[in-house]
Amino acid sequence: MMNQTAPQPAVTFTLNGETRTFATRPDEKLLDLLRRNGYRGTKFGCGQGTCGACTVIMDGRAIYACLLYSMQAEGRDIRTIEGAGTLDKPSEFQQELIDGGAVQCGYCIPGMVMSATALMEAESTYPDELVKEYMDGNLCRCTGYEKIWDALRRVLDRREAAAKKG
Amino acid sequence: MKLCEFLRPASLPAAYGQLRDLGPRGMILAGGTALHFMQDHTPVTAVDITRLGLSGIRAEDGGYVIGATTPLADIQRYRAPRWAMHEICRRIATHQIRNVSTIGGNIARVFPWADMPVALLAMDASMRIYAGPEAPEETPSADEYFAEQPARRFLGGKILTSVRVPALLAHEGYGSVKVVRTAAAFSMVTVAAVLKLDPASGAIRAARVAAGSAIPFPRRLPEVEDALLGKEPNEALFLEAASKADAPWRGKEGMTAEYSKHLAEVSIADALADAARHALERAE
Ligand SMILES: Cc1cc2nc3c(=O)[nH]c(=O)nc-3n(C[C@H](O)[C@H](O)[C@H](O)COP(=O)(O)OP(=O)(O)OC[C@H]3O[C@@H](n4cnc5c(N)ncnc54)[C@H](O)[C@@H]3O)c2cc1C
Ligand code: FES
Ligand code: FES
Repeated sequence: MMNQTAPQPAVTFTLNGETRTFATRPDEKLLDLLRRNGYRGTKFGCGQGTCGACTVIMDGRAIYACLLYSMQAEGRDIRTIEGAGTLDKPSEFQQELIDGGAVQCGYCIPGMVMSATALMEAESTYPDELVKEYMDGNLCRCTGYEKIWDALRRVLDRREAAAKKG
Repeated sequence: MKLCEFLRPASLPAAYGQLRDLGPRGMILAGGTALHFMQDHTPVTAVDITRLGLSGIRAEDGGYVIGATTPLADIQRYRAPRWAMHEICRRIATHQIRNVSTIGGNIARVFPWADMPVALLAMDASMRIYAGPEAPEETPSADEYFAEQPARRFLGGKILTSVRVPALLAHEGYGSVKVVRTAAAFSMVTVAAVLKLDPASGAIRAARVAAGSAIPFPRRLPEVEDALLGKEPNEALFLEAASKADAPWRGKEGMTAEYSKHLAEVSIADALADAARHALERAE
């Protein structure tokens, strides 16, 4: 029994394609683990699953890192904004956000990008209703959403057009 | 809850054994999204049940079996001919939460605003509970299961393993209404109904109606059901039946009790209209 309940102070998962092991505590959230280890692109907003600033992708699905215990990530595939694009080489959606002037304070943007990534990877067509379903968990306090929506729509429309052409 | 240790059992009997050994110190962990609603800081050992093969949905004669650790997002995406559980899932929380929150977690510890218990009461679902390697599986009906806080059932190490939802039959329809301030908010009132119509006369043959959120605990509304039986389904009947609801409607978040009652009654009538419309569409 003692062995069975011995504390497990480490967690191993794939982070942006690399297998990593991190020291943690059973009550640490994935968000805190990530930020403590230098992955600060993932933001702390509300800490209670309502704003989306902490969105990361786990096994292909957008999740809130502020609600997930780090130990729950054992063996999973985790991707963060650090894997989505860089300053020199932004992703297509990031470039559209820049070009469209869709970013104000920017705090919500990493989460928006991760939700949009989950959408683009999981779906092949992007009707508005479906896009809203994927983006419904990301709040923005600054922009009023329209420019973010338009930027995303431009990317999705291009992808749909490209898929039609084959 | 404060997680002090974290266990990942590899089988249902192993999880049961660990929970038995831990006693009150042990806590089942599924998606973990409900833990911050439990504000106390009691130290607990989490027993993660998400790796026991309890996820997934399958058709089984006359119904669908939803594994306890199936995320709400998977239920939302599932489509089958006589199935309606996806509707309520789309309206629970946000995409990111639905990807992690499980059906088991939503109904193992019921909060007053929870939507799933109301849907399952209307649907006449039943639960399957693992009670240890020696004991037979427990299979309470939704009525039995939600008669009191289900969390009490699980104190001794038992584990909810699946939920069985009957397939909707010919002339049966499901309807639900969730009233919220903003799309991802908790319900102010949440209502679900299943109606069965007589194929010859069109009259209501059977009705199950349940409500939650504006009352302390989700429940069926037998007075409403009785007022519907044998009658012709129409808007006036639905409103009249809804007004019979004998539930302790309570005010909260700026709503008076009277307002809650009114909101509940029109929501019940709308859910019934929805159910009747679907029942008419389902000829076989
Ligand atoms: C921001 C936010 C908004 C939400 N909005 C809504 C909403 O509008 N409507 C709604 O209905 N819900 C809502 N929820 C609640 C959400 O649906 C629940 O948190 C979720 O269903 C719980 O599932 P889980 O797998 O995360 O459970 P956990 O948090 O892992 O567990 C919850 C409880 O159930 C116990 N438990 C879990 N699985 C089992 C099992 N198989 N057998 C026995 N006991 C078990 C656990 O020990 C714990 O006590 C919201 C949650 C959040 C965070
Ligand atoms: S910080 Fe996680 S949802 Fe707000
Ligand atoms: S740009 Fe400031 S929160 Fe979205």
